[in-house]
Amino acid sequence: MHHLILKQIAKATDAAGAVNLNKLAALVSGAYEEFDRDRRRTDRSMLLMIEEIDANNRNLEQLVAERTSELKAREADLRVQNLRFDVALNNMTQGLILYDSSARLIVCNHRYIEMYGMSPDVVKPGCSLRDLIMHRKDIGSFKGDVDEFCSSVLRNVALGQITHSILEATDGRLIEVVNRPLQDGGWVTTHEDITERKRNEERITHLAHYDALTDLPNRALFHEKLKQRLACIAPGEQHAVIYIDIDEFKSINDSLGHLIGDELLKSVAVSLGRCVKETGFVARLGGDEFAVVQTAIEDQQEVSDLVARIYRSIREPYDCLGHQVTTDASIGIALAPQHGSDLDQLLKNADLAMYAAKAAGRRTARFFEPEMEARVKARRILEMDLRQAIVDGGLEVYYQPCVSLADNRIIGCEALLRWRHPVRGMIAPSEFIPVAEETGLISELGKWVLTTACLEATTWPDHIKLAVNVSPIQFKDDTFALKVVAALAASGLSARRLELEITEAVLIRDDEAALAILHQLRAIGVRIALDDFGTGYSSLSYLQRFPFDKIKIDRCFVSDIASPNGSSSIVRAVVSIAAARNMTTTAEGVETEEQRRLLRTFGCTELQGYLFSPARSAAEIKMLFSSLRAKRKVMV
Amino acid sequence: MESEQITWNPQAGWTPAKARLKNVSLVFYFGTRQMLACGARFNELRAMFPAAHIMGCSTGGQINSSDVNDDEVVAAAISFDTTKLQLICQDISDTRQSRECGEVVGRALSRADLAGVFVLSDGLNVNGSELVKGLVAAIGPGIPLTGGLAGDGADFSETLVGGNCIPRARMVVGIGFYGNSIRIGHGSAGGWDSFGPRRRVTKSIGNVLFELDGEPALDLYKRYLGPEDTKGLPGSALLFPIQVHDPEHPDSSVVRTVLAVDHEARSMTFAGDVPQGWTAQLMHGKFDRLAEGAADAARQAQLGLEAGEAGHQFSILISCIGRRLLMGQRIIDEVEAAGAELGDRALRLGFYSYGEISPHAKSGVCELHNQTMTVTSFAEVGQ
Repeated sequence: MHHLILKQIAKATDAAGAVNLNKLAALVSGAYEEFDRDRRRTDRSMLLMIEEIDANNRNLEQLVAERTSELKAREADLRVQNLRFDVALNNMTQGLILYDSSARLIVCNHRYIEMYGMSPDVVKPGCSLRDLIMHRKDIGSFKGDVDEFCSSVLRNVALGQITHSILEATDGRLIEVVNRPLQDGGWVTTHEDITERKRNEERITHLAHYDALTDLPNRALFHEKLKQRLACIAPGEQHAVIYIDIDEFKSINDSLGHLIGDELLKSVAVSLGRCVKETGFVARLGGDEFAVVQTAIEDQQEVSDLVARIYRSIREPYDCLGHQVTTDASIGIALAPQHGSDLDQLLKNADLAMYAAKAAGRRTARFFEPEMEARVKARRILEMDLRQAIVDGGLEVYYQPCVSLADNRIIGCEALLRWRHPVRGMIAPSEFIPVAEETGLISELGKWVLTTACLEATTWPDHIKLAVNVSPIQFKDDTFALKVVAALAASGLSARRLELEITEAVLIRDDEAALAILHQLRAIGVRIALDDFGTGYSSLSYLQRFPFDKIKIDRCFVSDIASPNGSSSIVRAVVSIAAARNMTTTAEGVETEEQRRLLRTFGCTELQGYLFSPARSAAEIKMLFSSLRAKRKVMV
Repeated sequence: MESEQITWNPQAGWTPAKARLKNVSLVFYFGTRQMLACGARFNELRAMFPAAHIMGCSTGGQINSSDVNDDEVVAAAISFDTTKLQLICQDISDTRQSRECGEVVGRALSRADLAGVFVLSDGLNVNGSELVKGLVAAIGPGIPLTGGLAGDGADFSETLVGGNCIPRARMVVGIGFYGNSIRIGHGSAGGWDSFGPRRRVTKSIGNVLFELDGEPALDLYKRYLGPEDTKGLPGSALLFPIQVHDPEHPDSSVVRTVLAVDHEARSMTFAGDVPQGWTAQLMHGKFDRLAEGAADAARQAQLGLEAGEAGHQFSILISCIGRRLLMGQRIIDEVEAAGAELGDRALRLGFYSYGEISPHAKSGVCELHNQTMTVTSFAEVGQ
């Protein structure tokens, strides 16, 4: 019997042994109910559990599916990234190798293998630094001691030091190798072929120090080299610094073109190089300026000899692209230490000497003299004073009459600028006009003279013309003709009474532009005279190029017109040419009756000079007009 | 050591009416709250054993040898040869003082020759886990500590504990065994099987569980209990104990049993902590497996007793009320299974509790258990 029913019977049995059937039935029934309840409970919980587990499974399945697709996407991303990484790595211009902390290769790109012509069978992940260098040694791309090299690399990696080195490959290429230690104890090495870069750097350095046209040292290198030479100058020794400026180079450039100008400079550079001894050097300072430095000079004669050699070679005609070009130079020389041992001082002095050579009419050389500096200083003071005079009204216009040789009547006056210096008194135009031209002040002065003179001329008798000098500098201004028109308009002077005197320099410089201006002036009725004829190039082609109204014969021809073998024949020729081309002629600087007589005989039209009258102030000239008018009336 | 079993029922009173044993120094007694509350049983025992320490508590059913009943008080009178005893009573007014209470009792019992402690505690107003921690902290982890939480049938309204006094609520009684003659063996096992998904404790405060996997814990229980058993809450929740463990220590799992439910907050209060973040899994019991668990507990106790074969032995069986609710009349299966392991010479009594106290079978650390059968066997060896 089941132990439970035994227990139930026991419980339903009283002390006397009688079984209480009702009690027993209740116990048995209770047990059945308990079993039923337990079964229901178990069924229910199992069902719920299955549902829950099912739901969990579904969730898990979904999660797995999501994660799987996530993983797949990530895997695809990684593949793309790897591909990009691979493309990036293998398209680098540098060779790259990544090592782990045990000096074994993790990754390297094709470039590295190509750079040294290595074998991909050797150079692959897992191969050691030593294997790799050994392989390079075997194929001849590494020359050093393998063990020593590897130890050195590992030592620097251990110290965490980034190392840069430039190694020359066996084929002459320059390779920059950089080792960069990484945090994990490994390192990355890059190899870059810098041969081209180095070459370019050298080229750039060369360009920075050498003139591109002549390949001579440029100003910067010239300074540097000279400084070095000056620093080690031996006692009793002299260095010569020779500045050479090619005369009229601009004219050559303008007339023959830049190509020929450049060709000339190149030829000059070569010639200069031949003149200099081994201890010296030539530099191009810019434009048409060269410098020669000759060290260890024993005496000044040696320098003079060198300069003579330079002149000889420069003055040789050069064949420039089929053109025979002759040229000349202005040369300034400064000696060290005699004229200064400081670089700046020496350069300045050489420059002053060259300036002096130019001032002396070019085509010549000058050694530096202390007075040169004084002269330059004086010139600078003069310039400052001139500027002040423009402001203060220290300038005046004087007028010199121009007389008809036929009837001795005044037919015009030439306006001449006068400067009354508050300290120095009257300053000659020959002194200050060049300064004004150099500094550009001439434009302002010219305009002022023109305006003032035009206004003044309106107070004169109507038949008296006004002549005004125009500097070549003024012709560089495209609006010059307009300025003349403005001056005429402002004063009310008729254009027919105005005569502008120009020198042939106007035509030498910028032919076409200057000619255009002259034609414009002529078109409004202004007369044009060619001044100082016979002193410059006196090319007759100028007369051909522009139909001047008048030629002014320079005073140097007039002064000896009367002497035997003098210039009478020249004057006669000029007068004759002028007459033939319907031009009048004015002789300047006529001082004697004899000169007047001869000029009249030759057929010269007009005269100017002390014989009749010096230049006079505006007031004086007016008085002269009045007195002459009165005299004539008396005569009448 | 000798022991004698006596019982009381309303019809016969105490049987035997007069104890055979002399020099009784300790009496254990267990009965329903209704039978103990009046204090008459204590007073009668006190009259019978004027010199003995008398400790007992209310239960969810009494175990008497191989029988389980609700209609009699079971008691055991014990006389020791040399073992000395000390009994401590401690009232506890606030559940939050559980640990402190354990420490007070533990400190009072601590002596150099302390050989073991047996403790009975209020089953509803004490956090058993904290009480045990306090006791262990005071007496040290090496001293065997066993006992249980008093029960109140399936009512869960009031539990009573008394030590040398009339049993009352909010009381903790501990008795210390001293000297080197006493041998104490203990064992604890459940026999419950976990089932269904593992769940995460997503919200809990101490021993109050609010949510499992983000779902109110009470909703889950109600679903599993079904309409019929839901009516029996909180007692019916014992049908599905919960096994919890720290996810980092999956081998140290403990089983927790429900003490109360809050329908409004949809929360459940357990007899021990259910820490947030721990893993939880529902359990269910099968009669055979539970009986097997009881036998296992008895086996462990016997192994630990190290008593001579012929020696007299006395065992207290404390089993969880949940087991009884599930097994119904078949509860005798587990009592018989345990009895078979302990043997006829062992006097066996015990009760159905709201929590069992015994060292963990694997870790050896004393803990509060739920849904287990806990067996504590006492023997005395000659000097």
